[in-house]
Order: sequence, then structure tokens, then C-alpha cells
Amino acid sequence: MLLEPAFLVKLESLALAAHRPRAGQMQGERRSTKRGTSVEFADYRDYARGDDLRRVDWNIYARLERPYVKLFEEEEDLAVHVLLDGSGSMDWGDGEGETRGQGEGETRRQGNKEETNKWLYARRLAAALGVIALNGGDRLTITALSHSPSAIPHPQFAARGRGHTLRMLQWLAGLPAGGTTDLNASLRAYALQGSRAGLLLLLSDLFSPGGYLDGLTALAARGHEIAILHLLSPDEIEPPLEGDLRLLDVETGEPQEVSIDGSLRDLYRRRLASWQDEIRAACRARDARYIPLITDTPLEQAVLMELRQQGVVK
Amino acid sequence: MPAFLNPAALALAALSIPIILLYMLKLRRQDVPVSSTLLWQRLLRDRQANAPWQRLRSNLLLLLQLLILALLVLSLARPFFPTPAIASGNVVLLLDASASMQASDVAPSRFDAARRAARDVLSGLGANDTVTLIAVGPQPQVLASASSDRALLRRALDQAAPSDGIANWEAAFALAAAAASGESAQIVLLTDGAIPSRLPALPGQVRLVQFGRPGDNLGIVALAIREGRSGPQAFLRAINTGAAAAEVRVEFRADGALFDVRTLTIPAQGSANITLDDLPYNLTLLEARLDADDPLPLDDIAWAARSAAGSRRVLLVSPGNLFLERALGMLPGVELNRLAPGQPLPADPYDLIVFDGAPAELPAGNVWLIGAPPGASAVLTDTAITRVAVQDPLLRYVDWSSVHILRAWQVEPPAGARVLVEAAGHPLLYVAERPGGRLAVLTFDLHDSDLPLQIAFPILVANLTGWLLPPGGVGETAARPGAPVTIQPAPEADRVAVTTPAGQPFTLPVGENIPVFAETNRLGVYQITQIDADNNPLRTDYFTVNLFDAAESDIAPRESVWIGQTEVRTTPPERAGQLEIWPWLAAAALGVLAGEWWAFHEGGWGSTQNVKRRT
Repeated sequence: MLLEPAFLVKLESLALAAHRPRAGQMQGERRSTKRGTSVEFADYRDYARGDDLRRVDWNIYARLERPYVKLFEEEEDLAVHVLLDGSGSMDWGDGEGETRGQGEGETRRQGNKEETNKWLYARRLAAALGVIALNGGDRLTITALSHSPSAIPHPQFAARGRGHTLRMLQWLAGLPAGGTTDLNASLRAYALQGSRAGLLLLLSDLFSPGGYLDGLTALAARGHEIAILHLLSPDEIEPPLEGDLRLLDVETGEPQEVSIDGSLRDLYRRRLASWQDEIRAACRARDARYIPLITDTPLEQAVLMELRQQGVVK
Repeated sequence: MPAFLNPAALALAALSIPIILLYMLKLRRQDVPVSSTLLWQRLLRDRQANAPWQRLRSNLLLLLQLLILALLVLSLARPFFPTPAIASGNVVLLLDASASMQASDVAPSRFDAARRAARDVLSGLGANDTVTLIAVGPQPQVLASASSDRALLRRALDQAAPSDGIANWEAAFALAAAAASGESAQIVLLTDGAIPSRLPALPGQVRLVQFGRPGDNLGIVALAIREGRSGPQAFLRAINTGAAAAEVRVEFRADGALFDVRTLTIPAQGSANITLDDLPYNLTLLEARLDADDPLPLDDIAWAARSAAGSRRVLLVSPGNLFLERALGMLPGVELNRLAPGQPLPADPYDLIVFDGAPAELPAGNVWLIGAPPGASAVLTDTAITRVAVQDPLLRYVDWSSVHILRAWQVEPPAGARVLVEAAGHPLLYVAERPGGRLAVLTFDLHDSDLPLQIAFPILVANLTGWLLPPGGVGETAARPGAPVTIQPAPEADRVAVTTPAGQPFTLPVGENIPVFAETNRLGVYQITQIDADNNPLRTDYFTVNLFDAAESDIAPRESVWIGQTEVRTTPPERAGQLEIWPWLAAAALGVLAGEWWAFHEGGWGSTQNVKRRT
């Protein structure tokens, strides 16, 4: 199971926070841009021919002798998009045995019982967010971005209503990661899909050789309200490497020769910080939220505190 | 460019190849999978570390090790810088400290130039070279003996000063020969060339470094006072070493007051004299000064002192005794007057009265009586000499064995008298101290003896007058620089105070030994005051120290000197010394080694063998 029952109970009280009201498709619990039939008063407007006479406010008419129509808020559902970066680089970090047997499994496991595998963490996070969305009656779409975006359609799960929770969890548990993801292309393709604009949560390490900015721009232009949950494992923050090494990229297999010493590690830390600053700035420019998460943070803490602080859930 | 004493060691630089190879082997990088090399790529792009030498360049340890190797190889190769040096090895430096080295024709002086050259020799020395430093003055002085301690040598050199005297090259050569014996030595003469010929040959190689430029110099080589008939006379001789005749004013000062100015014309390479006749009768000190502007001012001034007891006045009361007159007249510093017996003694005091023949009564003062003392009448005919006090200093060198006496007066010596020669229980010669002076009595007439014909006679006369005449004053009134001066103290003198020309006081105790004053290195007038036990000054005498050396006054440098059978010519400092720098290189290697150790432990360069995962 990706999520523990006790945690599921805690998720009951949460809802995904969308800051911009937008039109929905079905009756729901979200304030919509449409005026409608709920009990919450929204506005007045002049009566026009054809308006339903039942909506005329007769009290105003009696006072002003002019007909005004009373408008009410409409409450509809929210489209929640969860994009999971399923590239090979996401399947990294100590934790539940993954498919990549490169002989280094013993070094990856040594000494650390915590599960910091990014892919596992991403799926558990997606599950938590999905549960929240389903509980809130929102339209949930979970997409795993992996492999070549053009050749194979991305694995996708779409559902609405809490009755689908178990199915979603099973689907996520069986989801594999691997291959190379061109984040830019995948995101652009997703923006062009024509699905309903809504809250879009991107769970990724952003380690994409092609970059992610164009995709992000396309998604923002589509009208999505974007939050990037940037997942990094602890050994990516503090690489435990030393000496003369040939680094092999698990995603691309590309080697990189490097002699690591104290000063280079310092440089790495500075470079990482500046990279995160770059991402944060890019997100701010596109009105997206940026939430860096380290996978040794307990999931409960991540959801109940970090995401709540950032206003993704409420 | 440095050269190498051991260039073969440079081949050891090939050791760097295995070091680099070991590094290359060690640099087989270990494959480590990471989630993404994206950040590392950016990082290395920042560092521009894709250059082919990146693997070695980034390795500080290798660089340090190669540096250590390079330094060690270099120090093994013993690089050196050739330095201009006059000598190396076992060096004996003879530094001329004579008066002529004070000449200022080489600024600031020849001695300073020589000292600088000596310093250059020191700095050109190798680590194992030893130096013996001898200052050649009137008494050559070994300033440093076979020392390789540069600091000590420099200090000794700084303390060396030129004297006002001549250079005693013979003594200096003896010292140098002793210092140079044993191993092959280089003897360097730092001089202006006033070296006498016929010096003994020196062991080892002799080099001459010569200072000074040919120049004209005027100098006083003699100034003396003698007692003339009409009072003291002064005599001055000056020389001119220049190539042109010189006209110079000579100032004479008598006891500090300007007395006379003469103009003296001295021919080129020649000398000229002045005689002053009309000096004051009571003259004590005479100063002569050449008004010359020449490089050596030292010899332009001279002093002469007239002894207060300039000459001893001796009165001979005699009907005529050739032997006695001759013997007394031969004595130095004795002014002999003769008086016929029976005439009244003159009023002015005499230092000694010699009676040849018995006087009516003995006057006060020092008296030498030859013949019977007053009151004696008996004649002794058994005059074979029975006892001679050979241990007595008054009889030193006097041989009585062949003396024959015809007859003598039979005399009873007074109490306390020292009987020196005795015949049949009666004295032939005795001496005694009287309240008024000293008394010596020879109890026979010289004409009744063959004593005057003996060699012993003048010696006896000299001994006796030496004892009878009141001691005091100085042995000589003129001395050479550095020469010791004997002081003859009065019997009652307790100590002698000597004041040098610079005003420095010395006090010599008067004990059993004759006081000798040796601090006569500076030219000028020295004052000697004898002081008795009650601090009363007894008498004041002067003596003067003058250069008076034509060889020193002749400051023209000589291009070559003869030492033994060899002519030694001036050596320009062309010989290559070797300044080795390997100790510095080795020290640098040690420093780099320490730096490498630090880098290995502190700089995070350790354990590159295994990739360690941090927990």
C-alpha cells in the first residue's frame, strides 16, 4: 500500500486549494466563474428580456420600480491534474527495490533504512493528492510522463468521486518508471491535449536534459494553475562522492569524469542552490508555485505542513 | 644562470615519470551511477575543466610531489651561482693597517676600501672555506683565526681600525705562514703596497689586492730637539713624494704658541731640512705642521718633546783624567762640566759631582768619590781582590778578575754601606745612601790601577752613574707608534699617570717592574706624571709619538711586491667563487613536504581509493 490507513483518515479533512475560480463541468463543491443556483448571493444585474422572472428581486423592484435580477454563485467541480515525472532519474534513492539492477544495489542500501526513493515518494505524494482530490469531488487526472512522449501515450488515470480511491492506489502502485523523459516535450504535449484547465501539480526532479521551461510556459498559457513539487533525494543535495570518478547518468547512461574534492563539493552545493533559485524565479514569472521537497521528509509532514504552508492544500 | 656541480643528479628527474605513471594508474576512475549528471555537467562547465590536463591539473598532491622531487633533484645537482671572488678555500687575509692606509685618495679611505674588499672575499666564500684575518699594524693582530663563521669574521672586520704606525710585515708574514701551513692556502694581501722587499716567502698562493692611487704627499720624516750651545736646537726634515717640487709653509709652535713660520721648498722625490736655532731656552714641546693639502694628513704634523731633565748635569772635579772624562762624556744625556780641584763649587745644582781626588768635605747631592774620603789616611797595599759582590746589579758585566791595583786608601765604610769590592777586609768600592743623596766611593786612584784600561771600566762608570743620577722621566722622548715606552720613575713615585693625545688617562703602578707604557698607537704628545703616595705630583714629562717613516709617507701604491723570490702583481678579482644554493632548495623541499602533508590531511585529498558514502 502506498498510503497508511491512519494517514488516509488525516487526508479527509484536506482539500486542494485552487486560487482562481474557473468554470467547471459538473456540479461540485468549487466556486465557479458561472453564476448559478447555489444559495450564495453573488450580484445584481439589470433585468433583460428572457430572464427567468423567478430570479427578479421583487423587493428591489418595489423600492426602485426597476427590475433587477439576483445572481447566485455557481459551485462546480475542479479539474486536478497530477503529472508524475516517470523518467529513469526519478527511480533513484534508497528504498523499495526497484527494477534497475546495476550491481550497485548494495551500496545504495547501505546504512539507510529510510525510503528516499524519489519514484516511490512521488507516487505516494500523488496518491495523497489524489485521495484529497477524489474526496473533494474534483475531477482527477494522474499522468505518468515517461518514455518517448510521441510514440506511446502516457499512462493516465482519470476519475471523479471517492469511490475510485482504491483503484487509483492500485494503479499508482503498479506504475513503473524508467527511460528518458523530455520534460519540455511532454509538458507541451499535455498542454495541447485540450483537457480542462485546472489545478496542475507537477511532481518531478526536473533533471531533464532538454529543460522544462517551454513546457511550463505552454501549461501556464493553457490556463492551468501550476504547482511544481520538486523532488530531490538527500544524496542529490549532498552527494556522498569523493575522489576521481566517472559518473554514469542512470537515465541517459552518459558518463561524466570528475575529480571530486571538498572545493568541488562546495561548488556543487552552490550550483544546486542557484539552480533551485533559477527554477523558483521561472515559476514566479509564470505565476506557478514552487515547492522543493527532499525525499527524506516524512510524507505526512510534506503534505500536512509543507504543502499546506505553500497553499496547495487547505 | 646557475651551473651545477653534480649535473649527473639531474638524471634523477626521470623519477617524475614513474610518479606520473602511478598517478595515471591510480586515476582509473571508478564508475559511479548517479541520478543525473546534469548538475555536474554544469558545474564542470563552470570550471572549464574539460581540458585534457584536467585530471592532473586538479590534483594538488601530484603537483606538490613533483615539486618536491624537482627541488630534491636540483639540490642534489648542487647548483651554484658564480660569484666574483678573490680567493676561496683556506684564506689568509692580511689587512694592511698601517698609517698610509688612512690616506683619503680612495674615498672614504684606503682602509675602508680594503675592508670592503675583505668583506667581498667573505661573501664570496663557500660554506667550508675558512678565513684567517690579520690586521697588519705595528704589532700584527690576528682578528680571527681559521674561522668559517661569517658573522664573527664580519664583526672582527668591522672592529679593525688602521693604526698610525707602520706595518710590521715580517711579523705578519710569520703569523700568516703559521696560519697557512698544513693545507694549501691562499694568502691575500690587502695593502697599498708599502711592503719591504726581502720578505720571506709564504707558503701557498699569494694574491695582492692593491688600493690607492698615485698621489703627491708631503710628510715630516724627522723632528728632533738637541741641546745646542745657545739653547735648544730643532731639526726638521720633510719629504715630497710627488713628481713636482713643492713649496710648503711650516709652522712651528713652541709650547703651544706660534713660534715661527718658514717656507720650505722640497724637490720632487726629495727632501728638505729646516734647522731652528733660536728656540726658547725653557722649551718643552715643539710642534711642527706642514700647511699641505695632501691625502695623508697624518704625517703633516710632528711633535718633539724636550726632556725636563733634558740632560743630566755632571760636574767633574778633577785635575785632569782622560779616562774618566771619556767614560763620562760617552754617557747619553750627560752634560759634563769640569772644575779644577780647590775651586769653589758653582751655585747651580748638579745632578752628580764626581771628585777625582779627595775633597775637603763632601757636598750634599749625589757624589762619586774617587780616592780617599775625608779623614782617611792609611794606605792599603795588600790590594789583591778578595771578594766581589757579583750578584749586585751595579757590578753587572764588570769583570774584576784582571784588575790590578797598586795601592788604595784604608777606609772604614759607614754603617749601611754596600761593599761591592773588598781586599783584605777593606773595601775597594762601596756605595751608600746619604740623607742628601747617593754616595759611591772608589778607594783608589785610577792612576794607581789598570782598571781604566779594562773593558770593565766604562761599564762600571755607566752602572755607577746610572745608580747615582736621580732616576725619573722617560727613557726616550720620542717613540714610534705602537712601540712601548719605558718610564723611569723617581724612587718616591707611587704610580705614574699617562695621558694620551686623545685625553685618555692611564695609571701604571710603580712596583718591582719598570713601568712600560704600550698604548702608543696614536700619534701625538703623551704626558707622564709621576705621583707619590700622598697624591702629590712629582714631575711631569712628555714623550711624543710620530710616524717618521718615509716608506709610509710615500703613499704611491706599488703595482707589485717581491715576496721571497716571486714578484706578486695586483690581482683583479676575477676568480670565480661558488655560491651554492642547495641548502635553500632542500629547505624548500622540506617546506613543500610539510605543505603536502597538510594538504593530504586537511584539504580533503585523502583516501581517493574508495568512494565513501556519507551516512
